[in-house]
Amino acid sequence: MGDPRILVVGAGLAGLAAAAELACAGHQVLVVDQARQPGGAVHRQPLPGARSLASPAQARRWRALMADVDAQGARIEIACNTRFGGVDHTGTVLLTGDAAALLQPQALVLAVGAREKVQPRPGWTLPWVTTAGALQVEIKTTSEPPAGRVLLAGSGPLLLALGAELVRLGQPPVAIIEAARPFSHPLQSLALPPPYMVEAARHLARLVRARVPVFTGAALTRISEHEGALLAEIATRKGSLGLAADRICLHDGIRPNDTGLTDSTALPVLRLGDCREALGAAAALADGRAGGAALAARLAGLPAPAASSALAREALAQARLARIYAHDSAAALAALPADTVICRCENRTRADLDALGPSPTTRQLRLDGRFGMGACQGRFCADWVARLARPDAPQPLGIPRWPARPISVAELLAAPDLTSGEFE
Amino acid sequence: MSGQIFWNGTALPYRPGETVATALTRAGVLRFGVAPGGQARGIFCGIGQCQGCLVQVGARLTEACLLPCRDGLMVSDAGGPQHG
Repeated sequence: MGDPRILVVGAGLAGLAAAAELACAGHQVLVVDQARQPGGAVHRQPLPGARSLASPAQARRWRALMADVDAQGARIEIACNTRFGGVDHTGTVLLTGDAAALLQPQALVLAVGAREKVQPRPGWTLPWVTTAGALQVEIKTTSEPPAGRVLLAGSGPLLLALGAELVRLGQPPVAIIEAARPFSHPLQSLALPPPYMVEAARHLARLVRARVPVFTGAALTRISEHEGALLAEIATRKGSLGLAADRICLHDGIRPNDTGLTDSTALPVLRLGDCREALGAAAALADGRAGGAALAARLAGLPAPAASSALAREALAQARLARIYAHDSAAALAALPADTVICRCENRTRADLDALGPSPTTRQLRLDGRFGMGACQGRFCADWVARLARPDAPQPLGIPRWPARPISVAELLAAPDLTSGEFE
Repeated sequence: MSGQIFWNGTALPYRPGETVATALTRAGVLRFGVAPGGQARGIFCGIGQCQGCLVQVGARLTEACLLPCRDGLMVSDAGGPQHG
């Protein structure tokens, strides 16, 4: 006996927008999220008593979505601190945490967002070298500036946004190291949608006022520890320099968080938002709404609604942004020293990869090299391993599993089996 | 601040609703132990994707960035290569 509910994994923009559409069509929806509050990475909510760092537009967007969710009353149930363990061939889903259960939902919506792309560099595994997203989520939650000097490096608009947020918290970054030259494409930039321009102008104004050095066409080439601080070696267009920091945040763009994302023939499975295509917040909201409405129509045997024009607009804007931030990362990758860790989970280096010989097969990379076999299943290394192994024709690094994470026997015992119960 | 967690036996304050990862960060704890490969554990992705911040609670390992603080919670570093 199946569960009449639809399960949505991820309580960010895409997941909640889909839930609101599905509930509006009369479905019971269970939304789960591994964080302690809905919001996802973009709308991460502050701790009780902490002030929100959201811009007025961001705050309006979130309030409007939550009002839509609240309007559905008991048709939407949100369970936080709950993790999706995967779905099997029978359509049975394992949830652990607060809403632990084995259940067979009527349909499964995966809205698990993006992951950050971070290019390996010597020293990127040192403590307090984190992703830029990690620091952003941290300051959105606590609204406290991080302790010590922060250096931001990599590529993408997030570096400027995070830098501006740090200025706002009274802790400007020591510098921003951007691999691309985004300010040398004025015509492309002017064709971006107005909200992108407004946001970029606000961030840049903050950074300029605080005199934050922004190096473009520059790369952070090595991080080392020196006298209790992190020392960053930077190659700029005018030569090299060293900068000391207490925390270094890396970011080289965003990718769908779809490593090993499970599918099942036993029930409809939909991917929505950034985990389908990483196009940012506005697109995730539009994709969630459109996908939720499409699933509701499909379950009712109705024709699919027309595609969302908002989504097409965002895809165009993101393609333009990608051109503005285009740069040659292949040279930096090829120049990585032999002792650079590529796979963080299993501590496997460039030398370990090179030892597999020229053009190693996927099998050699995984079974002999152990690349993509660690806990994160290649979320943070598969792209680089593929490009280093065969620079001219990168091959996917095999078929990853949904990343394994520690689940205790006690957690499994605490998951009631709802797959055999009767439902009204 | 309200209540405290224990990191390797040392009491640390936390704010209601925050994770063990942010409480440890505020206390200046950078290293969350040693992973089986010998590399230091610590926060990397911050959102439950990389498992770089695994810590030990009772007999189990769990991600510090997803673990909510509660008063009296005992957390310790996840040990060395013997766990590998």
